[in-house]
Amino acid sequence: MLTLLQASDWTYFIGRFHPVLVHLPIGFLLIAALLEIGKRLGKITVSDTAITFILFWSAIGATMACVAGYLLSLGGGYEEALLSDHQWQGIGVAVFAWIAWLFKSGIISKGSFVYLPALAFATILTFTAGHDGGSLTHGDDYLTQYTPEPFRSLAGIAPRTEAIKEIKPIANINEAVVYKDIVQPILEMRCVQCHNANKQKGGLRMDGMAMLAKGGEDGPVFVSGKGSESAMIKRCLLPESDDDHMPPKGKPQLSESQIALLTWWIDQGAPADKKVSDLKVTDQIKPALALLSSGSSGGNGAVSSASPVLSLKVAAPAQKSVEAVKKVGLLVMPIAHDKNLVQISAVNAPGFGDGQSGFLTYLSEQIVWLKLGHTKITDGGVKELAKLKNLNKLHLEYTGVTDAGLNDLKNLQYLEYLNLVGTKVTDAGLKTIAGSKSLKNIYVWNSAVTENGILEAKKLRPDLNIVSGFNEARVAEFLKAGDSLKVVESPKSTK
Amino acid sequence: MEKLLKELQHADLHNQTRRHFLQSAGFGLGALGLGSLLGSCGSSNAETGAAAEAMGAKIPQFAPKAKRVIYIHMAGAPSQLELFDYKPELEKYHGKDCPAEFLEGKKFAFIQGVPKMLGPQGKFNQYGQSGAWMSDYIPYLQTVADEISFIKSMHTDQFNHAPAQLLLHTGSARLGRPSLGAWSVYGLGSENQNLPGFIVLASGGRQPDAGKSVYGSGFLPSVYQGVQCRTGGDPVLYVTDPNGMNRNMRKQTIEAINEINKQTYDDVKDPEILTRISQYEMAFRMQMSVPEVMDVSKEPQFILDMYGVKPGEGTFAMNCLLARKLVENDVRFVQLFDWGWDGHGTTAGDNVEGGLRNKCRLSDKPVAALIQDLKMRGLLDETLIIWGAEFGRTPMQENRNGVVMPFMGRDHHLEAFTMWMAGGGVKKGYSHGETDELGYYGVKDRVHVHDLQATILHLMGFDHEKFTYPFQGRNFRLTDTAGKVVKNIIA
Repeated sequence: MLTLLQASDWTYFIGRFHPVLVHLPIGFLLIAALLEIGKRLGKITVSDTAITFILFWSAIGATMACVAGYLLSLGGGYEEALLSDHQWQGIGVAVFAWIAWLFKSGIISKGSFVYLPALAFATILTFTAGHDGGSLTHGDDYLTQYTPEPFRSLAGIAPRTEAIKEIKPIANINEAVVYKDIVQPILEMRCVQCHNANKQKGGLRMDGMAMLAKGGEDGPVFVSGKGSESAMIKRCLLPESDDDHMPPKGKPQLSESQIALLTWWIDQGAPADKKVSDLKVTDQIKPALALLSSGSSGGNGAVSSASPVLSLKVAAPAQKSVEAVKKVGLLVMPIAHDKNLVQISAVNAPGFGDGQSGFLTYLSEQIVWLKLGHTKITDGGVKELAKLKNLNKLHLEYTGVTDAGLNDLKNLQYLEYLNLVGTKVTDAGLKTIAGSKSLKNIYVWNSAVTENGILEAKKLRPDLNIVSGFNEARVAEFLKAGDSLKVVESPKSTK
Repeated sequence: MEKLLKELQHADLHNQTRRHFLQSAGFGLGALGLGSLLGSCGSSNAETGAAAEAMGAKIPQFAPKAKRVIYIHMAGAPSQLELFDYKPELEKYHGKDCPAEFLEGKKFAFIQGVPKMLGPQGKFNQYGQSGAWMSDYIPYLQTVADEISFIKSMHTDQFNHAPAQLLLHTGSARLGRPSLGAWSVYGLGSENQNLPGFIVLASGGRQPDAGKSVYGSGFLPSVYQGVQCRTGGDPVLYVTDPNGMNRNMRKQTIEAINEINKQTYDDVKDPEILTRISQYEMAFRMQMSVPEVMDVSKEPQFILDMYGVKPGEGTFAMNCLLARKLVENDVRFVQLFDWGWDGHGTTAGDNVEGGLRNKCRLSDKPVAALIQDLKMRGLLDETLIIWGAEFGRTPMQENRNGVVMPFMGRDHHLEAFTMWMAGGGVKKGYSHGETDELGYYGVKDRVHVHDLQATILHLMGFDHEKFTYPFQGRNFRLTDTAGKVVKNIIA
């Protein structure tokens, strides 16, 4: 890179007009090329002066974009090799545009054969320079990030990994590695977009422990053991209007608990591989850690439910599907206004049976809570329920479901609640469904499940909450609690 | 004839006020939006469409943890110092003069001059894995200690029953605001089309002091008000058909009436007409559904024993069993009132010793049974049980008119009292807040009545600051301008 100028407010000011200016020559040049082609194919009539005029302004625009682009690059933070390519391609566009204009306008009358190649080069370079410019700003996978299959594999692009938008709940917070499981996800979510291998604002990369430790142009970003004196924390805490505040104004900000977690990590010496349990868990940091395990560290908003299914993003249900399900007499209710997930209840459709359960698969992505208690559904209908892949709570109390039906449900990956009260499910069925990895609470009161069966299932899944209930004997036991009570006929007077 | 027509026209114009126009425009748009998104509540047949719209729900701001509520209100206010808030230090001060700092600048309902301190009357112990403090007044509740979240630092602004009950249920000590139950049904809608979304059951021989306003709909459309059912005899009076009228004739009558009402609604767009239409329809459906859901004769004997219920009785225990049956049928909000918990010490029934023990004896078992019953049916998970009263009782013995009372009693106390919640997204075996060593004042994590309301709405999926209803030019909310969600109590 050549450096001709010192960076100043003026250079930055003009530099930032680069994205504005750069689109003018792109448009002008393509128009000129199209008109030239159209004219030569005899499709349109257009005067040479018109094309000349457009070419002149293409050349002016390209030159101005080059100047602004150079000034912008002085700010730094771009990948050098890519920047250099982009720069020379941009200069190429300007040069060839001038050449094309010189020949087209007749200022240089000899060698008019140069005109077409010059225009062609300018146009081609517009594309390549434009593409590299886009990669510089948005990252080099921006264009192809959402390539759908089968074109994705055809083009040899690796399967897409989702950018982290929310930190996944951490099941066992004590075993979590602080840097890898807590710190890095926060950085990925809020910082890495501008501080990565391709884009290094302030010469800083935050996409790995080594890079983070190295710091940026302004020196180290953290001082081990001194969280509140570390630049990355101080910048987060500055008022958002401050120029030095990070993330920049308008971008998603870190929540209080996220800042607390980063500070705590630095305070504890910024270890790369220690677990939460290895560090000193202070009282102040406990709430933030607790939020992590409940999966709501992402924002400052409401405490979200522990179930990961509720943070799933699914497509909005099709109006037709909702109508079809409602026709069967089922209630369809969104569970929250910012989610497309729905709950369904058959409270007004006691006649709901296997014949209608197919309708539910219209909403196979959206249904998370399903109440089919006291209906006529049996194992045949339960087969359809197995297709509701995001099912989280399922009420089948007082239905004809048996052990066979449970076989279909055990692979539902989000199923946490299953109500089998008053069914014919036996110990064998309980054992089957205990094989579900996600299940947390299962209700088997008034079914054919025995005390022994519960003990057996508990051996398989000690953490599964199997709720049975009262029978005559246990009620008698319960009633004994009141033996101490005596009716007080005449309370003693204080007089 | 001409005169009559003119009058009709005049009446019509009179009805078409600007407010009606705006109201109908707003309502129509709202219903349109809701209808397309939701249209869930209410039946699919066209003739009840208008009424169904009136019962349409808002969409919760976040996924609800409590989908149903059973609110057990012990009207009159039991003493927290005899039941939950164990103060051994108060025992030492028993019979001594109340310290001056407790009295300076304070007002009480009855206490005058310098009262004596009154030590706790119950024998306290810790129960469950959580080690919850409870007294021997409530041996059954001890067995479910680990299901409960206590709030020991409740406080309120009102020291008389009626305004304090209004504040607790409607967010304002004055009349005219919707109750918590009405807000709940307004927010989440009513799922069971054959039962009202908000049902009230009262026991103890009297209605709560604040009257029907504690379960009223205030400025919300009256379709959201609580429907009180009788516990003994016919659950709803006159809901059965009179002799000589069969169900079909009843149906035709109601259809005719509703058709006329609908025409009037089309003319004047008063949402109260929709309420009337939907209530006629609801009453018709309730003729079948209510006798069925209120009939406990099909319950197995051991369930009746667990609650301590004899069929036909109109007791608090019966109301607890009915509450379970109602939430089992997806009734959104069940409000129980039990009157007779005031313990001033004026009579043998109205004191914190024998009187309170007797009230506990009648209510302790059914409340514990209700928790157990909901739990084993898998319903406690999404049903929030709230237990409490409008305020607490003083650590001092009441000295009405400066005279020592004939029995051990305590005056109304607004600085500290205990409430508890179970199920529906609250922590199990948890205690929030603390009072000072004499139980006079909350010293840690105080929870105001508005904070409790904010927390309950939060559990039902609503941000209490955004859950509003426009009335007389401003947006009203249950918590008025206060309220903070008690996050620590949420599981």
